[in-house]
Amino acid sequence: MANDDDQLPAEEQVRRSVARTVGNTFVAVALLAGLGAWSFYYGTYTLYPGQAAIILRLGAYDRTVATEGLKFHLPAPIEEHEIVKVDELRKEEFGVGGVEEGATDVAAIQQASMQTQDNAIVRLSFVVQYRYGDAFRARYSLQDPDSVLRDAAQASVREVVGRMTIEDVLSERRDDVAVDSARILQDTIDGYESGILVTEVQLQEVQPPEEVRQAFDDVVAAAQDANRAVNEAEGYRNEVLPKARGEAAEIIAKANGYRDAKIAESSGEAERFLALVTEYEKSPEVTRKRLYLETMEAILPTVEKVVIEPGSAQVVPYLPLGSQRREGLQ
Amino acid sequence: MKRLILALLIVGALLAGLTVLGSRGWGPILITREGEQKILLFFGKALAVTTPGVFARVPLLMDVETYPSLGLYLNVDPESIQTRDQERVVIDNYVVWRIVDPVAFRGSFPPPGLDLAQQQINRVVKAAVREVVGKRTLVEVLSVQRESIRQAITDRTAKSLADDGIAIEDVRINRTELPPATEKNVFARMKTDRTRLARKYRAEGEEQARTIRADADREARVTLANAHRDSEIARGIGDAEAARVYAEAYDTSPEFYAFVRTLEAYRKTLGEGTTLVLSPESEFFRYLGSGTGGAEPAR
Repeated sequence: MANDDDQLPAEEQVRRSVARTVGNTFVAVALLAGLGAWSFYYGTYTLYPGQAAIILRLGAYDRTVATEGLKFHLPAPIEEHEIVKVDELRKEEFGVGGVEEGATDVAAIQQASMQTQDNAIVRLSFVVQYRYGDAFRARYSLQDPDSVLRDAAQASVREVVGRMTIEDVLSERRDDVAVDSARILQDTIDGYESGILVTEVQLQEVQPPEEVRQAFDDVVAAAQDANRAVNEAEGYRNEVLPKARGEAAEIIAKANGYRDAKIAESSGEAERFLALVTEYEKSPEVTRKRLYLETMEAILPTVEKVVIEPGSAQVVPYLPLGSQRREGLQ
Repeated sequence: MKRLILALLIVGALLAGLTVLGSRGWGPILITREGEQKILLFFGKALAVTTPGVFARVPLLMDVETYPSLGLYLNVDPESIQTRDQERVVIDNYVVWRIVDPVAFRGSFPPPGLDLAQQQINRVVKAAVREVVGKRTLVEVLSVQRESIRQAITDRTAKSLADDGIAIEDVRINRTELPPATEKNVFARMKTDRTRLARKYRAEGEEQARTIRADADREARVTLANAHRDSEIARGIGDAEAARVYAEAYDTSPEFYAFVRTLEAYRKTLGEGTTLVLSPESEFFRYLGSGTGGAEPAR
C-alpha cells in the first residue's frame, strides 16, 4: 500500500492522507459518540428521595446506592440497576370488617377469630405497617415478601393471643398484644432474611364474638352495679356517721350541762345554807322560831285543820279515814 | 498500532454484543442474575450449577435451565385435623422453602418442576401436620405448644424433602379455626364463664356494700354508746360533786340542817287535801288560848 502511495503524485498523496485522517477522525468521533450515547442511555438513572438502587454487575450484586440524584453505572448489560422504594410505608390489613357488630363478611370473621389460652375465642382486626429496610434483601431474599409477611403477621398475632387469656386481650394487656406481635413478627421475618422492617402492629377492633357479646357486656354492667352498690353504701355511711356524731355531741353536751348545773346548784344552796347557819348561830332561838312560823304560815291556809283539846274525854277522836280519803281522792 | 486499536475495538464490540446476547440467554456468555441459579446441561447431564455472575458455555451443545434461588412462599391448603382429645381444628400453614440443590430437584421434579414440587410440599406438610397435631390436645395446639409444634412440623417436612434438593426454612401455622360445632361449645362455655363472673361481681359488690353499711352502723352505735357512757360519767361527777358540796356545807351544823330541811319538807308535802289534827297545846297555838303571851306553855 505504501508503495502505491509513493508512486502517486505528491498532490494526490497529500489529498489522500487528508482524506484518510478526516475519515479516521470521523470514525473515531462516531465511535466515541456512539459509546457515549450508549453509556448515557443505558447507564444513567435518577433516584428520588426514599428510593434505593441495587446495582448488579453482570448479574451479580455489586452495590446499593441510597442517595438521591442523577446516578451513573456502567451501561447495560454490564451493569444494571433496580430501584426499590425503601421508605414507602406498606400496609396489610387483617380481619377488618369482621369484628364489628353485625359483620357478615365470613372470610373477615374467620380471619379475625383467634383462640386464647383459656380456650375462648376473641375477634380482632389489626393493621401491620412495614417497609423494605434493606433494598437488596427485600428484593432478593424472598420471591413474594408481601405474602410471607401477611401470613407471618397472622401467625405472630395468633401466637401472642394464644398465650393470653381473653380477659388480658380485651382489657389490661391489649397493648401488649400489639407490641409482642410486632416483635415476634420481626423475629420471624428476620429469620428469612427478608430485609423487611415492621414499623408497627396496630390493633383496630378487639371484641368478644358477637354470639357472646351480651354476656360480656353483662359482666361490665355487673362491675358497674357492684360499684354503684358500694357507692350507695358509702353514701349511707356518710349520712349515718355524722348524724351519730352529732347526736353523741348533743348527749355529751347535755350531760356536761347537767354536771355543771348540778355543781352550780349545790354550791349555791351550800352557800345559802352556810350564810343561814352564820345568822342562825348569832341568834339561834329567834331564827328557829321565825323559820318555823313562816313555814306554818305557808302551810296552814291550805290544809284542813282539826284542833282537839288533848285529855278531854268527851270527844272521841274519830276520823272517818277511809271514806274521807276516798272522797278526797275523788 | 492502528491495527491493535482496531482489533481491540472489534473484540470489545464483539464482547459487548455477546454480553447483550448473554443477558437474553443466548450465546457463549452465560449471565446468572441475583435470585437465580442455572444448571449447565451437556446432553441432559448436569455439568455445573451457577451462582450470580458470568460463565462461559459452548452454545448449542450445552443447555441451560434456570431455577429460583430465592426463598419461595407456599400457602398449604387449610385442613381439618383431629386432635388427641377428639376435637377438630382447621389448620392453615404457610411454607418458606428454597431450592438448594437444583440438580437433585430436577431429578425429583422434571421441568417444569415448580408446580410438582409445590404439590409434593403440600402433601408432606399435611401429613406432618396430621401426625404432629394428632398427638396433642386442642389447647396444646392452640396455645401452649405452638413453638414446639412448628419446630416438629418443620423438621419432619425438611427431612422428607431433603433428598429432593429442597430446604424447608419454616412451616408455620398462620391460622387455626374451630369447626362450627366446636365453636358453639366454646361460645356456650364462654357464656357460662361470663355469667358466673357477672354474678361474682354483683355478689362482691353486695358484700362490700353490706360490709360498709354494717360498719357504719357499728361505728354509729359505738359513737352513741361512748357518748352515753361519757354522759353518765359526767352526770356522776356532777352528782358526786354536788353531794360533796352539800355534805361539806351541812356538816357545819347538822342539827340546823335537819330543822331547815324538815320545814322544807313540810312545805312540800303538806297542802290541799291534807288533814292536820292539831293540839291547842302545840307550839303554834301557844298564844291562842292565853292571849297574854310571854309565859312558857306547860308541857
